[in-house]
Amino acid sequence: MSKNKYAYFIGCTTPSRVPNYDLSTRRIMDRLGIKLIDMPNAGCCGLYYELIDELTHLSMAARIISIAEDLKIDLMVICNGCNGSLIRANKKLRQNPEIKDKVNEILADIDREFRGIIDVKHYVRVLWEDIGIDRIKKNVVKELNIKVGAHYGCHLLKPSDDIKFDNPKEPQSLDQLIEITGAKSIDYYDKQLCCGGYVLTADKRVAYTMAGEKLRNVRSAGADIMVTVCPFCNVIYDANQRAIETEIKEGFNIPVLHYPQLLGLAMGYSFRDLGLEQNRIRINPKLFE
Amino acid sequence: MEIGEKIKLEIDNITINYCFSCGMCTGGCPSARITDSEYNPRRILHRAVIEGKLDDDIWLCANCYTCQERCPTKTKVTDIVSLMRRIYVKNNGIPEFIKPLIENLHTYGFTAKIGSFENKRRERMGLPRIEHTDEIRRIIERIENE
Repeated sequence: MSKNKYAYFIGCTTPSRVPNYDLSTRRIMDRLGIKLIDMPNAGCCGLYYELIDELTHLSMAARIISIAEDLKIDLMVICNGCNGSLIRANKKLRQNPEIKDKVNEILADIDREFRGIIDVKHYVRVLWEDIGIDRIKKNVVKELNIKVGAHYGCHLLKPSDDIKFDNPKEPQSLDQLIEITGAKSIDYYDKQLCCGGYVLTADKRVAYTMAGEKLRNVRSAGADIMVTVCPFCNVIYDANQRAIETEIKEGFNIPVLHYPQLLGLAMGYSFRDLGLEQNRIRINPKLFE
Repeated sequence: MEIGEKIKLEIDNITINYCFSCGMCTGGCPSARITDSEYNPRRILHRAVIEGKLDDDIWLCANCYTCQERCPTKTKVTDIVSLMRRIYVKNNGIPEFIKPLIENLHTYGFTAKIGSFENKRRERMGLPRIEHTDEIRRIIERIENE
């Protein structure tokens, strides 16, 4: 499969809550010479149906994968939730012909077919494995002198038996991708802690306490900003940071950037090019001077 | 079918037999820590396999897979909790807090509302329009009607 062209799947959270994530991803991929093919009416990856009905989840995921299969290119996702949902469905359907046949019977109603011929990749994987640190580094024109708390999130790496990317216990891909901008990716306590997003609708208090723990750990370690690679993790830490502060009665005020915004700044893009005016926790431009 | 049987059939027929209730799953679980073990994966697993029961607490799982990664017998703890959620939904219907997401999926093909406001914003940012799809509603309804 081509390593310079991907079917580009943005999922639900990005277009509804953080279009600047979409914008900044397009900017960095354009600079790196990667062609992204839009999937304008793709819809949802089916993640939530993992909690409701497995056949529906697999059929929804297979539908998304089939769109990329028609284009004969790998599928690039920017959401950890989509990453886990689609990789796991792809694996299950490739390994179980009976389930695959059942899913294809359902997809026949909408004139689609799952074949199992393409791979699903998170853009962190595309950057780290397909493009590579050296090639990205050549496009860095401005060294950033800041301390960053990296947040990998869960479904970029886990379940590792299915995802098979980086080292799930001590990952380094995102730290390395941060450091090519000149920034320092700091160590902090409980770095692999989940954002709590999945519990948000069931129990806000549990979700916000979990998210607050991470914000506290990132702040205690002296980070200037936090960086995320999932729109939902980003919404939790950025858009919901004030609500978290209110819920657990503690102030943080930590700017949270999507990784492509950080890399984009190092590539010389402006704040506006990267939609940084849309981030909820105000970012002091002087940090990046 | 009993929960224990379903776990063996749908998740893993091997690893679950080696679970010796060591508690590594619960020891690393952020929801267990935050809820003072009101959410307790070891207890949930034990309850399902030995007693064949499940309870509301399964909805406090953050789906972070920490338990599953830590388990010394490689028991698929998180996947089992997800299975329990599907069984719960089958028995009790979709919980209220998930219903809005499902309604959005039917209407827009997305879990969130994406309409003219979102598309106008995208246009201002030079991003391509997002179109709704009815294919997802058709998949959901077809499976529901089977």
